[in-house]
Amino acid sequence: MTENQLRTVRLFEFLTDEERAEFMEEAEAATFEVGEDIIREGGRPGSLFVLTSGRVEVRKSLPGDRERVLAKIDAGVERTVVGERGLLGKSGASATVRASSRVEAIRIPRETFRRMISEGRPAAFKLSYRIARVLAQRLTRLDEEVAEAIRELDRKGETDLEAFRDRLITDWAI
Amino acid sequence: MTTPLKDIPIFSRLDAEERAELEEILEPVSFSAGETIFEEGGPEDYLYVVCSGIVEVHKKVLPGHRHVLATVSAPTVVGEMGLLTEPRAAATVTARTNIEAHGINRDRFLEMLDGDSLAACKVVYEIGRTLSERMAKTDESIAHIIARIERADTSHDLDVFQDTLLNEWSF
Repeated sequence: MTENQLRTVRLFEFLTDEERAEFMEEAEAATFEVGEDIIREGGRPGSLFVLTSGRVEVRKSLPGDRERVLAKIDAGVERTVVGERGLLGKSGASATVRASSRVEAIRIPRETFRRMISEGRPAAFKLSYRIARVLAQRLTRLDEEVAEAIRELDRKGETDLEAFRDRLITDWAI
Repeated sequence: MTTPLKDIPIFSRLDAEERAELEEILEPVSFSAGETIFEEGGPEDYLYVVCSGIVEVHKKVLPGHRHVLATVSAPTVVGEMGLLTEPRAAATVTARTNIEAHGINRDRFLEMLDGDSLAACKVVYEIGRTLSERMAKTDESIAHIIARIERADTSHDLDVFQDTLLNEWSF
């Protein structure tokens, strides 16, 4: 593994080559077989994964023992980060990420990240800045979506609830 | 200002040197009870670290109604979303009591971040931890909303659904 693998990954692109190399030194390679859970909903907050190949499904359990597929991601098309929220927060994952083919990933364990933070390493703080921005943008957009839906319902117009639902699950931050 | 910086949670990770670096851009500011700190839709070009007092957050979700979103006591931070997204307030924030705060100019703080200031990054790290928990709660609210939408009865009573959104969504 080289730091080049992280250069094109959102969240890591603003780091210097040296900082990416620091992460790669701390990271572990991980492989998942079809059907294996990379992240489990409700589990303890865990690692960040950069998926480098394979396909995954993001699934969320809904009240009433139901489950819904939120997204299907093909890491072959775009390198994708999952589990970024687990690095910062203390709540468990809000969705399950399951391998739907063999998946290869770069894993940055939460414990490693926390250690980098307590050592005061800029790379870790800079990564959390990028994660915070992604979260803030999603939270702001969701607030707007919900406020707009409430207004639309108030106008008693045609409200496309399915489209509203789909907008709520876009860009789920796991 | 009575509260030393090191006793304010958002600054807790800074060492003495970093606190000094940040102090250069801190502007002591006070608001009187009833004063508006941010106006919904207006500029959000400052981040305020509230050291004493209570703030109230409102949003005009429906015309003619002011939805009270939260009442928050110091120590707290307001304006952090403007820092990380667009400098436009998504809600109105008013002083419920007299407020003492540290103001941080958004542009100056972003300059520090762009210059890879560790002090600034550490502050944002603390904000990120709060946002991460907020995101976790929001995701659960979304799960409830989706469940309601997908239950066939929603379409029969959109008013009830609207109430649910108003009451259960924490903007």
